[in-house]
Order: sequence, then structure tokens, then C-alpha cells
Amino acid sequence: MRKVAIIGGGATRCGKREATWRDLVQEAGKAMFANVPSLSPKDVDSLFVGAAEPGRFAFLSHVAPLVAECLGIMPRKVLARTELMCASGQAAIRYAWACVASGLSDVAVAFGAEKMYMPDMAEAQTNMSCVLDREWDGVNALSAPPFFAMTAQRHMHEFGTTEEQMAQVCVKNHKYSALNPLAQFPKEVTVTDVMKSLMVAPPLKLLDCSGITDGAAGVVMVPAEDAKKYTDTPMYLIGSGQANIGNNVNNLASLSEWIPLKIAAQEAFQSANITLKDVDIAEVHDCFTISEIMEYEAFGWCEKGKGGKFIEEGQSYIGGKIAVNPRGGLLGCGHPLGATAILQALDVMQQFRGEVPKGRHVQGAEVALTHNLSGPANVHSILVYSR
Amino acid sequence: MTQETSNTQREKVTCPETIKLPFMLDFCPLEEGKFTEISQFFQNLKQGKLTTTKCTKCGKLRWPPRILCPDCYSNDFEWVDLGTEGELYAFTEVRIGAPLGMVQDAPFCVGLVKVGNLTVSSRIDNAKFDQLHIGDKLKLKIVELPDGRVFFRFAKP
Repeated sequence: MRKVAIIGGGATRCGKREATWRDLVQEAGKAMFANVPSLSPKDVDSLFVGAAEPGRFAFLSHVAPLVAECLGIMPRKVLARTELMCASGQAAIRYAWACVASGLSDVAVAFGAEKMYMPDMAEAQTNMSCVLDREWDGVNALSAPPFFAMTAQRHMHEFGTTEEQMAQVCVKNHKYSALNPLAQFPKEVTVTDVMKSLMVAPPLKLLDCSGITDGAAGVVMVPAEDAKKYTDTPMYLIGSGQANIGNNVNNLASLSEWIPLKIAAQEAFQSANITLKDVDIAEVHDCFTISEIMEYEAFGWCEKGKGGKFIEEGQSYIGGKIAVNPRGGLLGCGHPLGATAILQALDVMQQFRGEVPKGRHVQGAEVALTHNLSGPANVHSILVYSR
Repeated sequence: MTQETSNTQREKVTCPETIKLPFMLDFCPLEEGKFTEISQFFQNLKQGKLTTTKCTKCGKLRWPPRILCPDCYSNDFEWVDLGTEGELYAFTEVRIGAPLGMVQDAPFCVGLVKVGNLTVSSRIDNAKFDQLHIGDKLKLKIVELPDGRVFFRFAKP
């Protein structure tokens, strides 16, 4: 297996965009190639496009060749759309990584795009209801907010986690997204703002939830031995872990403890030959505030059930025990499903390169992880990067 | 480009103002034997019985019903009556973001219900969010769609 490097990338601004799926792709593609000036689109032999629901949101399928056409790429090794719902972008990175590592591909692009704003938002919400076993869960209106609301309820019931503690996750991530020009919500919020925001599905309020977001992003991956031909500051993908237990919400290992995440984390650290202590930046999947609290616990930064206390003590801020989501997270930056993991990777690269604003820069960071969950948190996917 | 209207040919074309609810946006399962291999589940439900499949080879009872046992790969099942009682394990209320076809029902409660050793997700009827508690005893309820299909919910007695 060859060691793999990310040599550059680019993205659109995220949010409610006056742009089509295809417009977003072209914006992000231009930014991506501009970041690797010595690379021509014609050099790319493989392309993976993370896209969760283009068939529903944009009435488009077969989207990988659409991206190829828009960006002047002519793949000749491997071409595919990758779908793993909220982790679709990470699936694109994982496929590109596997192809470059195996020697099948020499220059692969991992791309991601999602267009989620629709004239009628009830239609957008409907699209999200086919994720959780439509015939047995979706039919009961279970989409992400009700599912994570019940997760939060059980966590509060079993461990005494409070709504204020959940709100503090949003406050932290918005503190950083306020300094991120790509963010959907570049604005600080207070605990009161979160607590007073509209109730979506109790106990989750609007600001406990990541947004509906348009956005696209891409990164270029090559064998590590070629990386310095393109940039002085490549980032290396040094490990990964992924685990899945069940699918129907009634067949999960647990509602209040993410066991697949613990398994995936162990695998990621082992494959990267690091320990939790080596991680300087964690870009974790805060699709809801409760998610980040449960991630502190599953990764092991705090004991099971103490995730609420962990944020209350400010331990997940830069300068705390671990810098969690200095990008601004999904809560602050938005969650364009297929693009999210690519945006995380891009921000880690900019952290390593010292290209992010001072207020959210993690000085001297050497190792970072990015994490995505998908579905009813039955799948957890992790990548480990080093400078 | 000039903003003047050109002499190019033009014709007003139409889009339908309403369309029949598309098949894929109808959340309720198709129940007849010509659509599904677990049609028996819906026939049982019509009789007022919530049932699921038990593998006759390895004995594993699972929700939702199966035609393949993921443990022993047998296709031999028997239908087991799960009774009409449940206990509320977790719940919330859908206030914003209900899918099309359910928007008119919001706000409504949904939950995870313990039925014996199984957990079943369901709408929770006959109660507002503030009236529900973890551990509440619930009763099975059958809902009938206009076209004759049935589905189940749980309700506070």
C-alpha cells in the first residue's frame, strides 16, 4: 500500500445559495484546481463524487460524469458517485485513498456536492425521510431531528445531560464559524439564543440542529512520493476506521452510546499508529449538539455520560483538552451532506498550513481526525491526517 | 444582447396544477401480495394483530419482518403475535419539518416502543408531548387509509 497525500483543494461558500447543483460544482472545482496550480484537470485519472441525494434534491443521478464534464476531467481509471448519506463525502475520500494507495490511481479527486434548498422546504424534509428505513421508520416521520431528539432525551434521562450543556456546543462552534468565510452561519450565538430558538423536536431547538445547506468542495489526492511535486505543504492521510451496527432505529446497539464509533475510533488510531493523546484537532460530526457530546465520550476524551460536563468546562475549545471543531462544525458551517467531509479535510489542511484566522488556529497541530456519522448514527467513519 | 422582444416563434405550454401523490412520496408501504413478500403482516394487521417473523430454524425473533434470517440464512418463518401492549422507551414531538403528507398532522408525537424484547418505532397518538413519560404503558392502534391499506400506531390509553 502506498502512503497517500492530499495536495490541495477548494470549496464554495456554504449556505442558502442562489445556485444550482451544477453551479456549485463549477465554483468548487475552480477553487480546487486554483489551489494546485501545477496540476491540470487532464492529469486526474480518477474521480469520486460524494452526493447523498442529488436524485431527490436536484433530480439528477449519474452525477460523477456530470462533475467530470463540468471540470474538464476525463477519468480513465475509476469513476463513481459515492453515497453514504451524511458521510458521502468521506466515502469519496476513502475510495480515492484506496485507489491511490493500491496503485490503481495516480491522481484522484475526491469531490462532494449537495444542493438542499428547494422552493418548498417540506419537500426537502421529505427527502430526508428516506434515510431511516423508509418503510418502518420513515413512515412514522422519523428523520434526523426526531431521531436525534430521542437520542438526546435518553442521554438526558440516563446521564443528566442538560439542554444548556447542549446549547454550549452550539455556542463554541459558532464562535469558530464566525471566523470562517465559507460558513453558512458566520455569527456568534449565546446559550440564550439557542434556548430561545424555535422548538423543532423537543428537546432539540433550531440552533441544536445543523442547517439545510448548499455547498460543494473537492480535494486532490496523490501518492505521498509525488506530493512535493505539487506543493510544499501536503497533508497525509495516515489512518482510518469505519464501523456499522444495524440500520433500523430499533436494531441499534444502543441509543445513548455510540458503540460503532468506539470500534471505528480504535481501528483509526491503530491503523494510524497513534493514541488519542496525539490528536491535536478533531473535526467531528456535530449534526446536532447532542452528537458532539456523545462523540467526546465515544472517542474517550471524557468518561461515558460526562460529555455535557466536558463542554460546560470548556474542555473542547482550542486550548482545552482537545480542540473540537475549530472549523465551526456542521452547526456553524452548515451540512451540505456530500461535501461535509471534504470541507472538514480542507480545513484541516488549512490548519496545518497556517491559513486559517488566528482566533481559530490550533498552533503547532501535527495530527487531526475527521469524523462523520450517517443514518441513525449506526455508521461511523473516521480519517486521520498528519502534517 | 438587446432587451427587445424578438420575432422568435413562441407558444404558451402548460404544467399540471396538481398531480396524484407520486408512488415514492407515499410513505405507507404497498401491502398486497403482488407488491411485497410480507403481505401477511398487513393481513394480520387488518385483523388487529401486530405480528412479526420468527425464524423457525434458529428461533430468532426480529423486527421488522423478514424473508431471510440474517443469522442462519433460513427462509422459513412463522408469524408471531406481538400482542397489543407496549412501553414507551423514548419519544419526541414533530413540530417543524414533517414530511409532505404528514404536515397537516403536526405537531404529533413519535417514539420507540418496547414490545416484549423488541423495540418498534411508531407514531404515538392520543397525547401531547408534555403528557408523555418514559415508561408509559401504551396500546396498539390500527390506522386505516382511505384506499383500504392499514398501518399501526401506539396510543396512550
